[in-house]
Amino acid sequence: MRHEAKKIAQIVSEILTLFLLNGAENIDIKVNTKVSPNEQNTEIIIIQYECEYEEEFIQKMKYNLNTQRQYEIEGYYWQLVGEDDSGDELHLVGAMVDKANVTKIGKELHIQLFRKA
Amino acid sequence: MELNKVDEKDIGRIRKLGLLSVLPIVFLIVGIIYGIYNGSFHSVINGFINIVLTPTILVTDFIEVGGIEAAFINVGLVGLLNIYIMHHYRLKLNGILIAAFFTVIGFSFFGKNLYNIIPIYLGGYFYTIYKKISFKDIIIALMFGTALAPLVSEISFSGLLRPFWAIVVAVCVGIFIGFILVPLSSHMLKFHDGYNLYNIGFTSGIVGTVLTSVLRSFGITVEPVNIISEKNHPVIIIILLCLFLGFFFTGIYINRRAIMDFGKILQYKGRLITDFTHLVGFGVTFLNMALLGFLSLFYVMLIGGVVNGPVLAGIFTVVGFGAFGKHIKNCLPVMLGVIVTALFFGNDLSTTGIIISVLFSTTLAPIAGTYGPVIGFLAGALHMAVVTNVGVIHGGVNLYNNGFSGGLVAGVMIPILDAFHKERNR
Repeated sequence: MRHEAKKIAQIVSEILTLFLLNGAENIDIKVNTKVSPNEQNTEIIIIQYECEYEEEFIQKMKYNLNTQRQYEIEGYYWQLVGEDDSGDELHLVGAMVDKANVTKIGKELHIQLFRKA
Repeated sequence: MELNKVDEKDIGRIRKLGLLSVLPIVFLIVGIIYGIYNGSFHSVINGFINIVLTPTILVTDFIEVGGIEAAFINVGLVGLLNIYIMHHYRLKLNGILIAAFFTVIGFSFFGKNLYNIIPIYLGGYFYTIYKKISFKDIIIALMFGTALAPLVSEISFSGLLRPFWAIVVAVCVGIFIGFILVPLSSHMLKFHDGYNLYNIGFTSGIVGTVLTSVLRSFGITVEPVNIISEKNHPVIIIILLCLFLGFFFTGIYINRRAIMDFGKILQYKGRLITDFTHLVGFGVTFLNMALLGFLSLFYVMLIGGVVNGPVLAGIFTVVGFGAFGKHIKNCLPVMLGVIVTALFFGNDLSTTGIIISVLFSTTLAPIAGTYGPVIGFLAGALHMAVVTNVGVIHGGVNLYNNGFSGGLVAGVMIPILDAFHKERNR
């Protein structure tokens, strides 16, 4: 898909902004663009360490990131993702990914996103 | 992050689409029955032909051009075409789609008809072939993108060229608009950072300005007109009241707690993209749309305005965006800004031009939602000053003139506000 690299970067930027606005001090980001040999799929893993999020926040995040892929919204609005410094476009990120896993393990918040190009 | 998990009845994609299709079907049926009842169906057909053959440049009220019955039939046909496209491509009904659909419905009362929108859709279709993407991906941008439809009608029917060549050139221009509008509209979002809800209005304003300038450099005059119905039709008000009541009770049927949950919607800023159907569910969203509809209609009635084509477009657009960013809390300060400014400059609030400026000014609702009511009021005041002066630039070929103005206002205000706004870590 066109602008694929930029879209992946914008998705990372949006979530990174949200975490930093919530006081994150230690974050790991991993982007794997060779998830499967035949298709151009991307896996994005973002881990925030030492986080204090409440369960409600995590559930809301899970709900928003699992909006379902919506190509018509992505095609029009993708340039808004990661642009603003409010971290409010998580729903739009949800429209740009095929699957999202959000899990809290101890004090670590793991976000795993899959996106088909 | 402002989110809520939603607990409500899922009525399914087809039934949701069925709910939307009530709108064009009602207008189509009422248009036909009203024509038969008045005993002049022949004149209704003539009226419909007049609507198709008029240049439709801003402001051309189809109720005045073709009569109320023909205008209703036009709305019905344009609406059903869009319902068919949504159904054919199995689009998931969401806030943006509702907003796009209501905008198309509203502007079918002044500016859009089957003749002038189809070339734009065709251009979009060619774009998808060229880019090897699905037509489904660009439908939303195209539905909004019919803002430039008057350009097709203007070239076709204003006597610029011989009839055959006029239609050929007009259709080609329409296809060209559809072809370029999608990448342009996406790019233009960055100018106002999503604070102007009618983004395509801004895009179309820019494109319209360029195309009108080209026409003018060939010595062709493209100027706004003022063909407006000055008569109130009770049937329109009755239909609107029934529709808004229908939305109200559908909202409660879908979500029994919709009234109690309504407060949740007011916490959203409304900046693009704020899809209320996802964030608070269809129940609360329909309730919000109904309330915005009542507010708009009562405002127009209160100041003694006429509910004509342009005003209907304003009302339907406000209602549609009640699913995609607008609510009473972020709309009122902006509307108030326009009203006070209009009074300050000695304008008559009951004129159609001022009424539609008030209604469409809610394109800037996200500014009030983000920066508060005082800044929202200022945005409305600035919008009033700009919108009355930008129409001449594109000669009225851009139906969403307020979207153009809103884009300029937001583009100027947001960087300044951002510079002085305190950043808060949450």
